[in-house]
Amino acid sequence: MAVTVRIPTPLRTLTGGNESVQAEGKNVRELVENLESAHPGLRERLLDEKGAVRRFVNLYVGEEDIRFLDGLDTELSGSEEISIVPAIAGGL
Amino acid sequence: MGTAHHRAIWANKTALIVGIGGLGSPAALALAEAGVGTLILVDDDVVELSNLHRQILYAEADVGRHKLDVARERLLARAGSDVLTVRSRLLPDNARELVRRADVVLEGADNFATKFLAADACALEGVPIVHGAAVRLVGTVLSVGAHGRACYRCLFEDVLPPERAPNCAEAGVLGPVVGIVGALMADLALDVLSGDCSRTSVLHSYDAKTDRLRAAAVHARADCALCGSAKSISDTLEARYLAPSPPSSITF
Repeated sequence: MAVTVRIPTPLRTLTGGNESVQAEGKNVRELVENLESAHPGLRERLLDEKGAVRRFVNLYVGEEDIRFLDGLDTELSGSEEISIVPAIAGGL
Repeated sequence: MGTAHHRAIWANKTALIVGIGGLGSPAALALAEAGVGTLILVDDDVVELSNLHRQILYAEADVGRHKLDVARERLLARAGSDVLTVRSRLLPDNARELVRRADVVLEGADNFATKFLAADACALEGVPIVHGAAVRLVGTVLSVGAHGRACYRCLFEDVLPPERAPNCAEAGVLGPVVGIVGALMADLALDVLSGDCSRTSVLHSYDAKTDRLRAAAVHARADCALCGSAKSISDTLEARYLAPSPPSSITF
């Protein structure tokens, strides 16, 4: 069952401008792989060379940071909303 | 908020604002109007024409003047706060001394080095801080209490190469977005000044495209270099704020 993934503005160039996309995955790791298939380049923005979530990106399942769940192994039932929250600077 | 009780508390408090730009302008205005006793403004920039759509303290006639001078005039004309100015950037060798003067710090810096420096200086001095950022149509605000946990480094661990994240000078930002984010920074700062920590360590994310404000808890990381059990940051040495990696083609 597909979950909704909210895409932050800087990554919308990879999703055809869409602010949210649907993707499937039994856990977050699988979800990222499926996102990569549909939107090439997305995985590299989220994960580093070792496959870990980049330090300046946070992935939320609902309102919870996956680092405090089971990381990339956090299971998805299909009803969740996933948010990608990158570090941003700006405002001056 | 804004009761006589709160205003009496705020009248004896000092807020230090790092950067009187898109976020600092509305935040300073809100804090002054709320009756915060003293505002310390830290900036070394002059007003430019390209600032005016989002930096609400300035007008076209101010172009070329120091932001500090104009901001101080405008704030004094509207509210009763004392307004002190520091013509400098927040730097590794002045950060701790500056934040020590305040009951709360607000930073809306456009670069990560300053964000991490402000976070470190405040944690080391036990001063609450409100971090704000806005790019394009989105903004985030995080308030960290005097206890310092969970902190900005729990959320985003270390200084990242500037190539990896856009700032508003390069990516642009919508004027109303910084207004909303700056006002939220002031709102959270007033909470902190009232002794209310119920909204600290919560990441507030605003998306102007969907008009949605999300609040997600930020948890303290056990291995956080700033506030974790084996914390390793005990100073604000300059080398800590240099981007650790070579430039990358990856931009976020």
